[in-house]
Amino acid sequence: MKKARHLVLLCALLVLVWLAPAFAARVGEPAPGFSAVDSNGKTQRLSDYKGKFVVLEWHNQGCPYTKKHYASGNMQRLQKEWTAKGVVWLSVISSAPGTQGFVTPTQENEYIKMMNAAPTAVILDPGGTLGHLYAAKTTPHMFIIDPSGTLIYNGAIDDHATSDQGDIASSRNYVSTALQEATSGKPVTEPATRPYGCSVKYKD
Amino acid sequence: MFRFPSRLVLHVFLATCVLADIALSQSSPQHAHVELIARQNSIVPGSSIALGVHFMLEPGWHIYWINSGDSGQPPSLKWQLPPGFTTGEIQWPRPERMQSNALLADYGYHDDVLLIVPVSAPQSIASNAGPSTVRFIVEAKWLICREVCLPDHAQLQMALPVASKAPGENPLAAKLFARTEALLPKPMPRSWKVSVRSRKDDFALTIAAGKRIAQAQFFPLDPEQIDNPAPQKLQTSPTGMTLVLKKSDLLVKPIAVLRGVLVLTDGEAYRIEAPVRQSLQ
Repeated sequence: MKKARHLVLLCALLVLVWLAPAFAARVGEPAPGFSAVDSNGKTQRLSDYKGKFVVLEWHNQGCPYTKKHYASGNMQRLQKEWTAKGVVWLSVISSAPGTQGFVTPTQENEYIKMMNAAPTAVILDPGGTLGHLYAAKTTPHMFIIDPSGTLIYNGAIDDHATSDQGDIASSRNYVSTALQEATSGKPVTEPATRPYGCSVKYKD
Repeated sequence: MFRFPSRLVLHVFLATCVLADIALSQSSPQHAHVELIARQNSIVPGSSIALGVHFMLEPGWHIYWINSGDSGQPPSLKWQLPPGFTTGEIQWPRPERMQSNALLADYGYHDDVLLIVPVSAPQSIASNAGPSTVRFIVEAKWLICREVCLPDHAQLQMALPVASKAPGENPLAAKLFARTEALLPKPMPRSWKVSVRSRKDDFALTIAAGKRIAQAQFFPLDPEQIDNPAPQKLQTSPTGMTLVLKKSDLLVKPIAVLRGVLVLTDGEAYRIEAPVRQSLQ
């Protein structure tokens, strides 16, 4: 009896592992659901935000490309602008323990305060589960999910794939553009771009 | 008695100038040594020479190809040339694939890489660095990574004498240039036929080469077309091969042309540019 249960569990696990690569995040398809813990110990479920736009921002505070958008205040500006309009903004940290960008909940909360960042929450994903679910490749790597749960944007934050803060002023911000279009009921003209930055520091 | 202090002051002043000049012309990048070199030891008006930015990287560190893959950034070069000189594009040696896990693959270089840039001289050369000498300056920017990435930059310069007849080669540099040239992708042999079929989830790149191709690796020139980390499945045939390349999740529109570099087992690299046919399969 017990053995059978173990076998069932093992099979379920194997099926999950086998399915995992199929869960890539494709624009126009349902965004993969998740349940993950944030830096305040609260569980964040994608399903809790049905009816709202959700932004996912892959983050690593030590990465020069992430620094570009935080030291300049560009990311915080976007977070404030869009959360004020009812958009849910989830930063995600998939750095494994011992790698660049890994933080404890306390360290992350201190960072948020210090940088004056304004995400709805920061998900800590040291095991990389959420990162693999979305196939997040870089920091930053941005995703937008519409109120019906469909992925409507997957890609870079803007069109200047550099770590120079000086490039921000002349950049076209893809996330801003996509949110403007989507929140006014228009289709997103550029729904998939090449994300740029540091590789996400996964454990494997 | 009075002359001694003034001479000392002069010496100190001159020493400071020399040190300042060294500080200006030498850069100390992190985890790499970077230099600007020329294949030739002089330049003739109206001729072309090859300059190269030479990266010597510390073990484990890498820089990137023109398409860096899933992360990273290719080096960039901004030239300050003497009047009338022009440069061509960077000649990128074939890259290596660097795969850190199942989700991410990058394209770049370890150890030692030379980025060759052809330079053409005008019919009449105006010296800009002393009599019959021209100076080339390049502002190089690059990203160097191991577990972490560091953006870095350096201003590199070198001077060449102007000569009236065909220049000789700098033997040490010539060796490095020749070794690098062997790594540059060549045009595809004329006898080869290449075709690409776009299927639901992948591209099938077929090459009819008139001989068996047992192993090959494709490096896409354009991002967002191929899923970089996905294994490339090769079906060999007596006349060539078909390479199955998984499409990128970011590919939302059909593409007309697949461009890239094909590297065979013997290290030969070929430039591939093939129109893409849509397939119902």
